[in-house]
Amino acid sequence: MAYRWGMAVDLDRCTGCEACVTACHAENNIPTVGAGQAARGRAMHWIRVERYYEGDFPDVRVKFRPVLCQHCDAAPCEAVCPTYASHQSEDGLNAQVYNRCIGTRYCGNACMYNVRFFNFFNPEWEKPLNLQLNPDVSIRSVGVMEKCTFCVQRIKAAKVLIKSENRDLKDGELQPACAQACPTTALVFGDLNDPESRVARLSHSPRGTKLLEDLGAEPKVTYLQKQAWYEPDAH
Amino acid sequence: MVTAACTFASPGQPSGTWAGAPPSRWGTSPVVTPAHASAGDAVRGFFGIRPDARQPFDFSHQIHLSKGVLCTDCHTGVEKGPVAGIPSINTCMICHSQIATDRPLIKTLTEMQEKGRELDWQRVYGWVPEAHVRFDHAPHIRAKVECSTCHGNLAEQTVAQRAVNMNMSFCVSCHKSKQASNDCLTCHY
Repeated sequence: MAYRWGMAVDLDRCTGCEACVTACHAENNIPTVGAGQAARGRAMHWIRVERYYEGDFPDVRVKFRPVLCQHCDAAPCEAVCPTYASHQSEDGLNAQVYNRCIGTRYCGNACMYNVRFFNFFNPEWEKPLNLQLNPDVSIRSVGVMEKCTFCVQRIKAAKVLIKSENRDLKDGELQPACAQACPTTALVFGDLNDPESRVARLSHSPRGTKLLEDLGAEPKVTYLQKQAWYEPDAH
Repeated sequence: MVTAACTFASPGQPSGTWAGAPPSRWGTSPVVTPAHASAGDAVRGFFGIRPDARQPFDFSHQIHLSKGVLCTDCHTGVEKGPVAGIPSINTCMICHSQIATDRPLIKTLTEMQEKGRELDWQRVYGWVPEAHVRFDHAPHIRAKVECSTCHGNLAEQTVAQRAVNMNMSFCVSCHKSKQASNDCLTCHY
């Protein structure tokens, strides 16, 4: 059976340490643009940790929400791409094909999660940082969009491995860099088509919500949280 | 003997600006990216024109294959992973420490090995980094694709040459006929 990759993010576990962000940058060769360009909204983070403050000082609670590409089933970014660079892969990944991308940035504008990033510059790494690049991930050049791939290079490698060993993929065997780095295992990645997988069970949890669910994009990332959080009269 | 470094990246090995190529004199122009040192380079890159690989000496595949050496004897990585591998001088000397030791070329090889030097082989095949192509040899070998399907009949070649034009239609037509995946993400990521 075909895979359908998805993720569950347990917000009650997230401590906002940003290990996922660091791991993602290291794994996927994501360039930094510098403070000046970041102030102009050109920073690239395939996953970011959003902060929400509840209450007034000194009685403040901070809530964290890691936001990455939701790999929507009805993705608005795919419908607007004139070159089909943004499309749904066989495994339900919201794929970005760099070769096809001509940089119209329609997808970035259509995405309501702000998880697509445009390369305004050719990426450069100061020596010796050029030696730490991941050889399994393409370096995106100027003029193309890039986004979270659910570490497709790891998915491909795992598929090749299980086929060579003639076995099925074990749940939890394959993890993107962010889930692997998460110290509290707030990020759980897996196959939604496998009803026994941890991510499939968590996706059906009563604690689960989807980000901006009412817009109808059918995201494959589920956020788990105590439901009382966002009720205004809860405390 | 040509010692110029090959300008084309191995699969999975970043090359170009980030690997220490000369910086573009065009800065970060969107047309002439630092992947190309000049406008001429960019045009040649666009049309896929690239120079033939120039090897340190005329290694004859034909002689070795006619003696019963298998492709996998020297290109040892081909069944294990993405890269088939260009053999090091130590691989040559596994046989040539005993065989044909009186030939001048083998004597040179022996000397080079003693000095710890390597031969500067250039890749014959491969894609430019802009193609974003990821190729893994091992699954193709497991799917019983013959080496000659993509590399030509090397028993008829002396120095390996680009006998097959590996463009996308070549890959896609084979993937279609073997019912392999033709999703973009199969190769481009």
